[in-house]
Amino acid sequence: MFKPLTSLYSYKFPKVITYMLQVSEYDLWNYLKWLNRTRDFSQIIKRKQLVYTSKSKLIYGFLAVVFILQILFGLTLIYLGLFQHLSGGIYFGLATLISYPIIWPYLIVVGLLVVKILIINPQTINNNLLAKKKFQEFSGIKIAVLGSYGKTTMKELLLTVLSAAKNVEATPGNQNVAAAHYNFSQLIKGDEDILIIEYGEGRKKDIAKFAQITQPTHAIITGLAPVHQDHYKNLAQQADDLISITNFVSNDHIFANLESIELKPYISNTFKTYNRERVMGWKISDIKSQINGLSFKMTKKDQILKLKSPLIGRHLIGPLALVAALADYFGLDQKTIESAASQTKPFEHRMEPYELNGAMIVDDTYNGNIEGIKAGLDLLKELKFKRKIYVTPGLVDQGQKSHEIHFLIGQLIAKAKPDRVVLMNNSTTSSIQAGLINEAFKGELIIENEPLRFYQNLNLMFAKGDLVLLQNDWPDNYY
Amino acid sequence: MKTVLVIFGGQSTEHDISIITAINSIIKPLEMTKKFSVVPLYIAKNGNWYYHPRLKDLSLFRSGQVDKFLSKIEPVKIGLSQGLNIFYRNKIKNQKIKVDLVFPALHGTKGEDGALMGLLEMANVAYVGCDMPASAVAMNKVLSKQLAQVNQIDTSEFMWFKKADLEDQSLEKIAQKVKSKLKFPLFVKPAHLGSSIGISRVKELPDLINAIELAFYYDDLVLIEEEVPNLIEVTLPIIGNQKPQPAYLERPLLKAGDFFDFKTKYLSGGKKSGGQKTDQTSQGYSEVPAKLDKKLYKQAEDLGVKVYKIFSLSGIARVDMLIDAKLQKVYFNEINPLPGSLYAHNFQKFGISNVDLVIQLIDLAFDKFQDNQAVQKVFSTNYLTQF
Repeated sequence: MFKPLTSLYSYKFPKVITYMLQVSEYDLWNYLKWLNRTRDFSQIIKRKQLVYTSKSKLIYGFLAVVFILQILFGLTLIYLGLFQHLSGGIYFGLATLISYPIIWPYLIVVGLLVVKILIINPQTINNNLLAKKKFQEFSGIKIAVLGSYGKTTMKELLLTVLSAAKNVEATPGNQNVAAAHYNFSQLIKGDEDILIIEYGEGRKKDIAKFAQITQPTHAIITGLAPVHQDHYKNLAQQADDLISITNFVSNDHIFANLESIELKPYISNTFKTYNRERVMGWKISDIKSQINGLSFKMTKKDQILKLKSPLIGRHLIGPLALVAALADYFGLDQKTIESAASQTKPFEHRMEPYELNGAMIVDDTYNGNIEGIKAGLDLLKELKFKRKIYVTPGLVDQGQKSHEIHFLIGQLIAKAKPDRVVLMNNSTTSSIQAGLINEAFKGELIIENEPLRFYQNLNLMFAKGDLVLLQNDWPDNYY
Repeated sequence: MKTVLVIFGGQSTEHDISIITAINSIIKPLEMTKKFSVVPLYIAKNGNWYYHPRLKDLSLFRSGQVDKFLSKIEPVKIGLSQGLNIFYRNKIKNQKIKVDLVFPALHGTKGEDGALMGLLEMANVAYVGCDMPASAVAMNKVLSKQLAQVNQIDTSEFMWFKKADLEDQSLEKIAQKVKSKLKFPLFVKPAHLGSSIGISRVKELPDLINAIELAFYYDDLVLIEEEVPNLIEVTLPIIGNQKPQPAYLERPLLKAGDFFDFKTKYLSGGKKSGGQKTDQTSQGYSEVPAKLDKKLYKQAEDLGVKVYKIFSLSGIARVDMLIDAKLQKVYFNEINPLPGSLYAHNFQKFGISNVDLVIQLIDLAFDKFQDNQAVQKVFSTNYLTQF
């Protein structure tokens, strides 16, 4: 009962507020929503720690100083009220003492807004202009990779395969917003053959904004699924945003994922499409999907490509086939493509398999969308293991469709028939449970209240011969 | 939800090892199941028994602040009538915990040697692991070798001495006796201790005297035995009651001449093995499963299971064996009725996770308890009427 109250007046409170801002990526709207729904601030810092950047240090230091000043001011007023008969001194002093942790978490937002308007925004405008100029000057191929999921994977596949014969550069890691594009533009030397630029849309008109700056010659739309529903009103808005790429790239240079059910209605006949059956005139056959990777054959008239990759999951056949087809289109020979495809590897936390104490773990904790969940569960269903364990907290940012989507996830889990399901307890858990019940799930269900502790002790739960699929992992601000 | 009491710590040389076994290998996996209410009961080195939820947290013990923490709480009281009950006082009032099952995590004296099991038998509460008689025999290295021999199980040649023997004869005289009957090198062991505490390997008479003195420091019964030549040391963790299920035969890896002493096991991370690709477990480096000739592996496995049955072990135990690689002969060495960290690393490799291991052990404990309840223990007589 007292914990929520005492957490406000804890010496850790300035750190907690700074952490909340940092984890919200200084998105003030998300921060305010988190702030307003939080009652007990002692439970905030659980999964990570505050990273001491110059920005966080400044905010943390500022909050600590103003807290101390306000406390001192309050004490002074009380002293003056008690001993110098300052009228209202005691009451104002008490109010000042009580109010500091209530007002400053909001006042800091005002401060940050002012900084954003006066300093950051002009700087961003200038950076965008510089980036635009740099991309304009680049005469080679510029491939934009966009979509609600699978962007980073697609970008890395392109980079690995095309780099086998071309000078290719790509935006690093999962850095995919305007600031990252500016940083990337500053690294371009001009002698590259191909640039690969990832677009991480999070708000309306982001894609158009990124395209205006980077001016792509080609675009790949990897899929559509509900994400960032806090900023997009609905999926149609999200789709419109993705399709706005047609204003910058000609339709015959746009490659769209035909396996994305939600994207399908928006795919124009004039787009090029890809899936696990066909891509750019190539036919895909002889598919083998195992825990140690994928293999398949691509044929186009008298051309044959036999591809093998350590990537796992049938959902990656389409993207890998597209990359091979594009490599052929850009002039890479058969041997180079086949060799480069074998060099592709699972990416960190994305369907990344590894063996641990005799068990096979598939780390898909960066997955954050329904299509990815489906792909993982398809894999779980397909693979033969002594015992299968499935772990997920569900998906974030699913907006009004959250119940519907998580009910579906519950059904999909039940159909994949894992022996044990571990759900991290949160707002989506009851919907997943309802889906499990609806599909008559017969395995063991564990509801975990302490995700961090669970992941730290995961090793205790599996043994030789087990397959463990970990899908999605929520940061603190979603619990 | 069943209440499981995990008892750990204890007045034993293996106090600290018990804390690791309890928290890492029992409490954490039990809590992951969400099927049990797990109650930690810590026996401090001074003999006081404590309950507090924070005693599930290893960082409290690692911080070195545990004594300070314990000074703020009252020791518990134990009730043995109608099952096992724990009485403690929280900030406001006295509280009672009714225990459904006890998971002992005490190593060594007063815990693994049957003493605790006797108490639990008196309370008529279900508990995990070997019962009092089996534990008492298993933890007595002399008795267990004698029992093995009676059952035609090979052991190395051995002698034993009680502390009382020192009243009639000097250490030197005992050592001379040993020298005349056994061949060096020899192992000198306190008969009741686990975790290799107080054990010495000696090659000559003066060292033997020191080793016997050291062993008597820890125990009043000392075992002296011949070293098995061309030695391969193996150990076999087993679970089960009437139908024992062995996990993998495991081979601790040591350089020639080294033996698995306390430091190698728990403090140096088993660094004596040197650079080989093996598993580092809580027990140091080892090879799981042991890479032995198929026939020899089976021979050792069968011997381990035979010992488990002959000693009427239950729940979990580990049987240690010595192999003469040249003669391809397996000798029984000793039994550990509560292997450190439950040997969960071995069971995990075998295909039983730590979570499943503790669940199985609890099921076995309830099965055994049910069987015991079916045995008639009291009956009415007219005996008292004659007085």
